[in-house]
Amino acid sequence: MASLIGSAVRRKEDPRLLTGNGCFTDDIKLTGMVHAAFLRSPHAHARIIRVDTEKARSLPGVTAVFTGLDLAGKMKAVPAMWFLPGCDLKPKDRPALATDKVRYAGEAVAVVIAENRYVARDALDLIEVDYEVLPAVVSQELAMQDDAALLHDDVPNNLALLWKAGEIPDQVFADAEVVVKQRLYNQRVIPSPMETRGAVAQYNPGSGEMTLWCTSQNPHIHRLIYADVLGIPETKLRIIAPDVGGGFGAKIATYTEEAVVACIAREIQKPVKWVEERKEHFMATSHGRDEVLEVELAGTKDGRITALRVTNTANLGAYLSTFGAGCPTIDFGLMVTGAYAIPQAAVVTYGVYTNTTPTDAYRGAGKPEATYQIERAVDLFADKIGMDPVEVRRINLVPNDAFPYNSAMGVTYDSGDYQKALDKALEIFDYAAFREEQKEQRQKGKYLGVGFSTYVELCGFGPSAVAGAIGFQGGVWENSTVRVHPGGTVTVFTGTSPHGQGTATTFCQIVAEKLGVPISDVELVSGDTQSVSMGWGTYGSRATAVGGAAVSLATDRVIEKARKIAAHELETTVDQIEFIAGQFTVKGDLSRSRTIQQIARSANYAWNLPEGVEPALEGQSFFDPSNFVYPFGTHICVVEVDEGTGEVEIRRYIAVDDVGRVINPLLAEGQVHGGIAQGVGQALWEGAVYTEQGQLQSGTFMDYTMPKARFFPPIESAFTETLSPVNPLGAKGIGETGTTAAPPAVVNAVMDALKPFGVAALDMPLTPEKVWRAIRSGRDKE
Amino acid sequence: MAHQVEVSMKVNGAESKSVIEPRMLLVHYLREELNLTGTHIGCDTSQCGACTVLLDGDPVKSCTVLAVQANGKSITTVEGLASKEGLHPIQMSFWEKHGLQCGFCTPGVMIAAIGLLNENPDPSEEEIRLALEGVICRCTGYQFIVDAVKHAAQTLREAGETKVAMADSMKA
Amino acid sequence: MQLSYTHTFSLQREIVWKLIQNEDVLKTAIPGCKSFSRMDDGSYDVEMGLSVGPVKGVFTGQVQMTDQEEPSYYCLKVKGKGLPGEVDAVAHMHLDETENGAAVTCRMEVVVTGVLASVGQRVMGGVAKLVLGQFFKSADTEMRKLTSQV
Repeated sequence: MASLIGSAVRRKEDPRLLTGNGCFTDDIKLTGMVHAAFLRSPHAHARIIRVDTEKARSLPGVTAVFTGLDLAGKMKAVPAMWFLPGCDLKPKDRPALATDKVRYAGEAVAVVIAENRYVARDALDLIEVDYEVLPAVVSQELAMQDDAALLHDDVPNNLALLWKAGEIPDQVFADAEVVVKQRLYNQRVIPSPMETRGAVAQYNPGSGEMTLWCTSQNPHIHRLIYADVLGIPETKLRIIAPDVGGGFGAKIATYTEEAVVACIAREIQKPVKWVEERKEHFMATSHGRDEVLEVELAGTKDGRITALRVTNTANLGAYLSTFGAGCPTIDFGLMVTGAYAIPQAAVVTYGVYTNTTPTDAYRGAGKPEATYQIERAVDLFADKIGMDPVEVRRINLVPNDAFPYNSAMGVTYDSGDYQKALDKALEIFDYAAFREEQKEQRQKGKYLGVGFSTYVELCGFGPSAVAGAIGFQGGVWENSTVRVHPGGTVTVFTGTSPHGQGTATTFCQIVAEKLGVPISDVELVSGDTQSVSMGWGTYGSRATAVGGAAVSLATDRVIEKARKIAAHELETTVDQIEFIAGQFTVKGDLSRSRTIQQIARSANYAWNLPEGVEPALEGQSFFDPSNFVYPFGTHICVVEVDEGTGEVEIRRYIAVDDVGRVINPLLAEGQVHGGIAQGVGQALWEGAVYTEQGQLQSGTFMDYTMPKARFFPPIESAFTETLSPVNPLGAKGIGETGTTAAPPAVVNAVMDALKPFGVAALDMPLTPEKVWRAIRSGRDKE
Repeated sequence: MAHQVEVSMKVNGAESKSVIEPRMLLVHYLREELNLTGTHIGCDTSQCGACTVLLDGDPVKSCTVLAVQANGKSITTVEGLASKEGLHPIQMSFWEKHGLQCGFCTPGVMIAAIGLLNENPDPSEEEIRLALEGVICRCTGYQFIVDAVKHAAQTLREAGETKVAMADSMKA
Repeated sequence: MQLSYTHTFSLQREIVWKLIQNEDVLKTAIPGCKSFSRMDDGSYDVEMGLSVGPVKGVFTGQVQMTDQEEPSYYCLKVKGKGLPGEVDAVAHMHLDETENGAAVTCRMEVVVTGVLASVGQRVMGGVAKLVLGQFFKSADTEMRKLTSQV
């Protein structure tokens, strides 16, 4: 039988989704259900003087209207869960509904409950709010100035945190042969999964049980936080993430709306549904990135990088979001040296409150920003010393014999073969031929450019002891139960919570392969706190590396137990039993065997079990990895810039990724494609635009450019496979490689193309207008 | 109570009749009145195409059509694609080529693809990418969607289908 | 957002000066004006229906005319509040003599919030010009009516 692990199995989840039989949050309909709609602040910063809900309440069809004051004492504000130590963190919780002040445009002020969503919307228009508008501050750099508007009275200079890691004396840079300094802005982007957020809450007044269906990447985290916010014990709070239409980090955070909906379902004793409109999503769901990066790189004339110093001024938005404190610090800071052996490195991060939507994890969370600054800096360094950017990378990449590699930032890269991925990418690309073509085309007035990104990222969260040390208020281990039913079919339970990754396929592949049963006999259960004992969810590319490892170990326990029962039935000792392709066989005697299905039946009937073996056939694992995993690779982007319009066309995109063991190459490639599309999106088109008064102008898909099919050529994807030693599968993470690697590959390519115009630095997104202006000003200088 | 009107239309081959508010969008009519929740709502501004359905055989964004505008017409939603014999070739191709991840945009994308194949049974890669202008997928990066549409076109051509037939509705 | 608009009246500057600040003219000329009443402090309370592309709504607000330098300049301050958001505008009105009459140039600085900002912004410039155009055209008609009656 061909190995299931490593084969391109069609997805188990697809027939349901392809026929319209999925069940997303908005598809849930309960008897007597009413609908919620939130009234949101039009101002970025204002004092609330008066909220008059009288007219709204009297509209026919309206069940109730709540303001922040109406909810006082019924639920708490929603706290963050990452309290980074040693950085003077001043966490600010999100109020259920704003009562005294609104701090960003789109903050919820009141909520209407009505018989349908149309009436709820009508009623919103009848609520009158008087605001006293206050000066707003949008830019994190301006927000730190002494005369800036203050969001929270007890947070001077709006400085939520100041984190420092490592120190390098100025002398090191003063004495360096070559120093490159560059300011880069990694702009704010809006995650935009195609399904917005939503929640349906049902309360049983008899038992006190609350069921909350919501668009979550981590229902157990939602239960942990909301149990406290709502004052409901975890035993009586059931969170279900049904089918979830994409997350990209935006559905990690515990927001207020879901908790408000649950709180009101308890108040009015009716099921309540809320589904975010897209324009609400733009303002009310967390944004990503928004970091001003000042990088200083020291090196030698012959291409060796000797030191790196980075200052990150990060925009946290108006409140501290769930993972908000961790993204620009730990996630960013620990990876600033990238794939290079840089002996000295230091990072300072300022986390700043502003009158904008709170920021949190977005696909990659800190690692894309880290990769962006180092990959851009390496190109600038190469330019300065007149060396080819590939050559500089070769000189500085962490060598194979250095793994496990201790970086200057104090983390240990698990395994790698960075040169191999680079070689493979170059082989697909044909670099020499490209440089020839580039030269020829330039003479014809066509501007081609190539950009490289030899990235590494940290993922597979992670050892729980580390989580504790960095102030993450939870564990990051993972749990799985593998249950073999009397008939021989298998249910697998995981604490990860998929939302498009295809986990129901990959995890079943692992179990089916190990147990030697057809994959059609294996089903995955996830996303339900009542079915799955515990877990920490899907984010940080941890599902396969941590969750999959737990599945693998739980399956091993099933086999171990089944082997004992088989030995007993076959009247031999355990060490005499071989288990191959679903058959337990006595060594050297093929006639004496039992199938796993036969053992499942006897284990569950328990008529004749060996001494000390309990009935049923089930294994559980709680897997806490010893380290993070560090996927890596080389991405190469070729662009053509239209001199007349400034438009950037992607001509080729080559991605060689090493994500350790690949469970399903088809799904792995799908993850690569999707990540690259988002990464290219950030490089070229996407960006949140605020006015100085804090109004989000890029507030719909009309103004926020989402990548479309026609923007891309076919992506050339390949893998190398360097196993990780930190989990039994040897798997690393794959979900975030594209958003991490792509932005600098694209920007480096555009900069390469613009060299004839003397353009050295442009900030993302590289829109046609920006590129066109740069070309023009380059021309004017000539 | 708000003014109500009666609408009737044929949805996936079955006659439906309801009394609704005239402002009700077709997508809400399908989802709330008929419980056909396979058609999704992804934006408020008719950019994302998750709500695309066939209206008398042509793809439309059902979030920008009032239910009353569809009165007397024939609608095909994702629920109407497969037959008892199995999946429609477009569904089969999306499955085989991994043309979906979270699956939220997929119903609309498949319907948009059917709209293309009805007009152009042998589209080039570029034509497919252009035809997907009206839909947004955040997960796949589109490449496997393009592959799936190409594969579906080939399957349908080999089967000698000139029009992309639906399980029940289009035959009426 | 900044915008400017010029309309040329075929009336003498002094007449335009008087009439363009005249209550009845304003009431008729403000597009969608539902009510226009003078307050004790000399400002006006206004209610007007406005439609900016997909964003429609009724706005209530105050209009104030200050810094008059007869007959060449005054400042118009508008604060409006409606369901789609809030509008805060300062308009500098310059009246210049021309060959056949008077040109009124309106230079305006507008700040908007809410849906007006997030959805309406991209069409605001065009719509604002349209609204100003309508205003001046109606004002022109109204002024002619009044002057011919005199």
